[in-house]
Amino acid sequence: MRRLIALLLAAALTLGLTACGGEEQAAEPVTVRYGLSNAWDSLMPYNSPSGSNYTRIICDKIYDRLAYVHADGTLDPRGATGWESADDGMAVLFHLDEKAAFHDGTPVTAQHWADTISLITDPNCPALGRGTFSVLAGTDSNGCALEGERLGVEAVDEYTLKLTFKSPTTPEDFLLDKNRELYVLPTHLLADTDPAEVMELDLWDAPVGSGPCKFVEEIPGSQLVLEVNQDYQLGCPDFDRLVVTVIDKSNLLPSLISGDLDYYAFGGNVSVEDAETARASGLEVAEGEVPNTFYELMLNCQTIPSAQVRRAIDLALDKEALCLQSTQGLGEPTATDVTPGAEYTCSLTWQRDVEGARTLLEQGGYDGRTYSLACTSNRSGLAALMQQELDEVGINVTIETVDSAALFSGMADGKYDMAIASHTPGALPLWFTASRLSESNNIFHIADLEPYTYYIDQISASAGWEKRQVLLDKLQELLADQRPFIPLWFGRTLHVQSPTVDNIDYPSSSFSNENIWAWRMKGA
Amino acid sequence: MQEEANIMGRYLRRRLLTAIPVFFGITILVFCMLNLAQGSILDLMGEGSGATDADRAALAASLGLDRPLPQRYLAWLGDLFRGDLGTSYANGKQVTDLIAQRVGPSLLLTGTGVVLAVAIALPLGVLAAWRPRSGWDRAASALSLVSFGVPGFFLCLAGIFLFSVTLGWLPAHGMYAAGRFAGLPDLLRHLILPAGVVCLSSVGELVKQTRAACLETLGEDYIRTARAKGLTDRAVMVRHAFRGSLIPVLTTILSHIPHILGGSVVVEQIFGWPGMGSLLFSGISGRDYAVVMGVTVVIALAVLLTNLLLDLVYGLVDPRVRYGKG
Repeated sequence: MRRLIALLLAAALTLGLTACGGEEQAAEPVTVRYGLSNAWDSLMPYNSPSGSNYTRIICDKIYDRLAYVHADGTLDPRGATGWESADDGMAVLFHLDEKAAFHDGTPVTAQHWADTISLITDPNCPALGRGTFSVLAGTDSNGCALEGERLGVEAVDEYTLKLTFKSPTTPEDFLLDKNRELYVLPTHLLADTDPAEVMELDLWDAPVGSGPCKFVEEIPGSQLVLEVNQDYQLGCPDFDRLVVTVIDKSNLLPSLISGDLDYYAFGGNVSVEDAETARASGLEVAEGEVPNTFYELMLNCQTIPSAQVRRAIDLALDKEALCLQSTQGLGEPTATDVTPGAEYTCSLTWQRDVEGARTLLEQGGYDGRTYSLACTSNRSGLAALMQQELDEVGINVTIETVDSAALFSGMADGKYDMAIASHTPGALPLWFTASRLSESNNIFHIADLEPYTYYIDQISASAGWEKRQVLLDKLQELLADQRPFIPLWFGRTLHVQSPTVDNIDYPSSSFSNENIWAWRMKGA
Repeated sequence: MQEEANIMGRYLRRRLLTAIPVFFGITILVFCMLNLAQGSILDLMGEGSGATDADRAALAASLGLDRPLPQRYLAWLGDLFRGDLGTSYANGKQVTDLIAQRVGPSLLLTGTGVVLAVAIALPLGVLAAWRPRSGWDRAASALSLVSFGVPGFFLCLAGIFLFSVTLGWLPAHGMYAAGRFAGLPDLLRHLILPAGVVCLSSVGELVKQTRAACLETLGEDYIRTARAKGLTDRAVMVRHAFRGSLIPVLTTILSHIPHILGGSVVVEQIFGWPGMGSLLFSGISGRDYAVVMGVTVVIALAVLLTNLLLDLVYGLVDPRVRYGKG
């Protein structure tokens, strides 16, 4: 009996303390709780092994970028108030915002941007992902500065930054392609540091940036507390803190519905079924207008050497059904990697043709071997459907369900014959092909890359839409003829609107940037 | 007495000596499994991140991934002897620091869950054995059925749906509402649901063990003797039957210690609880071998020490247990 009374007392005490909690929290700073399904890695943006969007979306808060990229490819000022072409299209001048300052109060100048780029392209600096800078004059294909050559970055004056390229580049093309990997570092705090040791600094444990949020504390891989930068040049939101927590995907929507989360990363993207749940729970769901996923079937051209067989696979797949299974009506099958709705177009169309596929298989000398198809567990249904469709034309496939590291590794070392992958599409004509049809990333195991790189180089070096469009058409014809990968569909997203925060530009998170400075608490 | 202590000392030394190769065996096994699995952190370097082959080669060299497997293991072992568990591949932080940061929340979450489970299971198991086919017994069976039959992730999601989404009583995730300690009530509110799931997951085995052990003891001669001496049912149960059943029950309880230290991967991951389980999960999915090995060392040591502790406790609990030769 005494134990029972003790238990009851303990329960009453707990409830009492819980009730007190409400009053105690009222004095707390206004906090926006932000969910993320995967952890960021490094808070030093040029030292992220994954280079993932999860790291980018976090670095986007702490560090500043030159521009803000909208989902439709339009650009807004951010660290730079404007930009213009110079030197006959070989350079771009960025006019920097004079109000921009680091979190320690030091103004951000063109010299900071120039020093950042000089540091990261320094071959002695163990930076990751500096391939971003390989477009600049004076760098090699890995983005390392070449000895004896002038690096294509210059602080023209205190607030004008000049970037010089290897080939003509418009400011818009550069920003669409590279903005999300270009951050300004507090180089005034790195002045006496050996570039070789820059990644070892304690500074990256409590980073100082010039972005819309200041670092407060971190439990690496689990939680990050940020404070709003009241002096950010584009303004600041009407809350004080942003707490980023890594939560399993399965708990993101329930947390939003229960009011324990204000927003979750990448535009609160949900599936069609989850959207119904969200609506039923009183949340608003909006449909994205621009495609934000591109699905492809990666092929191993070494183990499937015949272009006819690869084209047969393309014709055998019912992209309409696959797209419907995956996007539930929020996607369009495609014959190309050129993003619909962007500036560049492609006239190629796709239609399933089972008989045509069988004929091509015969012509290609398909010997009845069984191909391995790798996919991640969430796409096993899709893979099963593909297996069924390929079986219809006589292609044998076994499915291997693996995680993404094993999938890409297996494709890279030739273990798998096919794999299902998805990407965030870009508005530029070479957003997909330039990085995948290259010597440094020949993931499709193409024996001779030259025909592709010829067009890719030509398109990169051409100025003007018309000339590029003509070359792009030729590249797409070559891809359709050789089929080193099979474009499947472009998908759009459903965004669950935050019940507590207004003014969120949901779709633009696909470019790894969020307009957090414009966020407003509802009813504030 | 002195001789008994000497025998026990020799026994413990022998157990410790056998634990050493077991520990190294575990580390070799985990190290090989991790490193031989398809894919590494180099394969996770984003395709669109501007990472080049040179970047991958540089990262491989800096992490030592370009060296043969035995060399890598020996290097890791050398660091371990110096008390260095290495640095995380993902964020460059010391693994010991990461573990130190995560072990507290795990102890709190899993420890609370297991203590609650013990608090429920022991009396319920004893009552169920005392009054077979009674309401207590049926309750114990039902609880065991739920505990064994319902997977942890489902319990998490069902708990969130019921207590967070539908009733709005408890928070659905995290350890604190505003990202940092804001008083005990806030922590308790966040703790109840995940600790409840841990409790429910563990309670079935404990109830079952307690009930079975008590039932077995109740059939012993000395229990009959105790009853014949005129002791009350309650005295027989508490003083004799329960004490006699302690060994299997203690084994089950103490076997949860590594679980407490290692955290509950599923519960921590779903609830966004910053413990060892979620650290292990992110280490595995991010191919962060240093982190996975670090957590493995902690869990392996916990298992081995727990086994040793069990041997010691047996002797204390049951005077019949003797540590003989051989």
